[in-house]
Amino acid sequence: MNQWVIALPFITVALLISLGLYTILFKRNLIKMIMGLAIIQNGVNLFLVSLAYREGYAAPIWTSAPGEDMVLPTSHALTLTSIVIGLATTALMLSFVIMLKKHKGSVDSFKNRRCRE
Amino acid sequence: MSMDLVSASPAFVLGIPLLFAFLTPLANRVSKDLRDAMFVIGLLLTALFVGIMAYEVYTSGSWIYVFGSEESRPTQTASYFRIMFAADGFSALASITMVITALGAGLYSFAYMEGNTGMEKFYTLFFLTLAGVMGMVLTADLFNLFVWFEVTSIASCGLVAFQNYKVKSVEAALKYMFISVLGGLFFLVSIGLLYGEYGVLNFFLLADALTGGMIDKVALSIIIVVFAMKASSVPMHMWAPDVYAESPGSVTPFIAITSLGSLFVLTRIIFTLFRYSFGVAAVGHLLIILGLLSMFVGISMALKQSDVKRLIAYLSVSQIGYMLMAIGVAFATLDSADYSSFGAMALEGGLFHMINDGVYKALLFLSAASVVYATGIGDLNKLGGLAHKMPYTTMFFLLGGLSIAGVPPLSGFSSKLLIYQSVYLYHPILAIIALVVSIITFALIGKIFYSAFLGPDQGLTRGEVPRSMLVAMGILTVVVILFSLFPNYVVAEIVVPAVEGLGVVA
Repeated sequence: MNQWVIALPFITVALLISLGLYTILFKRNLIKMIMGLAIIQNGVNLFLVSLAYREGYAAPIWTSAPGEDMVLPTSHALTLTSIVIGLATTALMLSFVIMLKKHKGSVDSFKNRRCRE
Repeated sequence: MSMDLVSASPAFVLGIPLLFAFLTPLANRVSKDLRDAMFVIGLLLTALFVGIMAYEVYTSGSWIYVFGSEESRPTQTASYFRIMFAADGFSALASITMVITALGAGLYSFAYMEGNTGMEKFYTLFFLTLAGVMGMVLTADLFNLFVWFEVTSIASCGLVAFQNYKVKSVEAALKYMFISVLGGLFFLVSIGLLYGEYGVLNFFLLADALTGGMIDKVALSIIIVVFAMKASSVPMHMWAPDVYAESPGSVTPFIAITSLGSLFVLTRIIFTLFRYSFGVAAVGHLLIILGLLSMFVGISMALKQSDVKRLIAYLSVSQIGYMLMAIGVAFATLDSADYSSFGAMALEGGLFHMINDGVYKALLFLSAASVVYATGIGDLNKLGGLAHKMPYTTMFFLLGGLSIAGVPPLSGFSSKLLIYQSVYLYHPILAIIALVVSIITFALIGKIFYSAFLGPDQGLTRGEVPRSMLVAMGILTVVVILFSLFPNYVVAEIVVPAVEGLGVVA
């Protein structure tokens, strides 16, 4: 039972990342593709957070540590950084899509292929 | 100058561009001239601190800069928490390459981007990209590397799409961004795998801790794919031609520099981390295959291009192949006696080619941008006779072009000669393919030169490009000529310390 509880976040991670990759590979709408990227991103964030967990260990606060083993400290910092960066990248990509929509009137990735011509 | 300033120079190399990124919009509130002056001052200050750092490395050896710590050598506890920058010969070589190109591209931007509004934002993005690539090559920590990787991606995509009225630029930027973000996410997964397994992210601690198990192999394979993709190696090169061809002309060398920066990072990770976890032969052969593919596919695709910037973009993809191949040969021979007989020479050739490639490719991209700037045409079938009105640009293009083709006695020849000699001893077929690709490169440079610059004057342009653009290209030309005149000096003073900085002793 306990094994299952610990494995559950990782199963969710695998599901989220596969769902995101599916969306990116099989959807033609650029906004949906960016949503797929955001789903992968959340999967990765969940992965980092669940990775840090060690059963029965203390929170990693250096000054008030009761002298016992602590969970991995850097993962949370990494996740916060990743969330912030994710916001920036998603916003920037969506603004690119808005510009493309204004120019071409379409958010279909098959119709935005000017560079290939 | 106090000793502290010298030992903190790696932090200034990063901090100056970051500071000026946000000072230029403020200066814009006062006046446009102040803003432009700030831009030049920021670039020159960055160059100054790169110079200080490099001088210190070459005279008194490398050191590790620990952020927020008094000691120059980190204690064991500090290594787990603090961010560290490695100031060694390798980061010196990489940051010198970056800063020379940034100076060229920056000065060129003044006249080239004239008429665009919101130039303070351009300068902000420019400085952020510079800070990002500097952070990427200086850092000795995977977490920190991820942050600079993303800073570089976001800022450079902003630069690519800066002229957002050009739909192709926006499209190229979206493509680049999409691939960079996906790469960054998988890089994060591999960081997580390594951190969960060993609890450290520092390169040096990780190198000691790696055991070569399955998780290491998965994580390091992801890292190699991500950075080879950012370095525009075939088969992950599809973004490169679009981005190089559609970005504003003065930005293109800078984007090329971010992919070169990724190659620097890949080299450092391979030599510090992979060495102790994988068999050297497997990684070495993978790099050689990637290198051969890049050279061959890059040059074949270049053959059918008629747009001048797109053609040079494919040439740049094929040049990345030379460096990957040289690094691969050096790595494959690392644990055997072959390393001292020719592996070290391959590594020197590869690193020397990186610094040469950064400079002459910038010159080539800028002279191509000058052609487009002066005529408004990028199609080689419609260009012609520009040498009559644009003698300086013609000269700059010829110098950059002959250097990329590896024609003696130019700088590209010196580094390619080292690569040919060493990879020939590993396997003759590698050197033969490299030579053939060089010859085709020469033919393609001849094609551009013949169709754009030679022939009767067709009246496509009224005259030479503005003087500041000529000065920017002139700076790069002087560097190419210096590297061509004193290759032995450059190898002994810059490239050999870089090889030592990678922790490889012949």
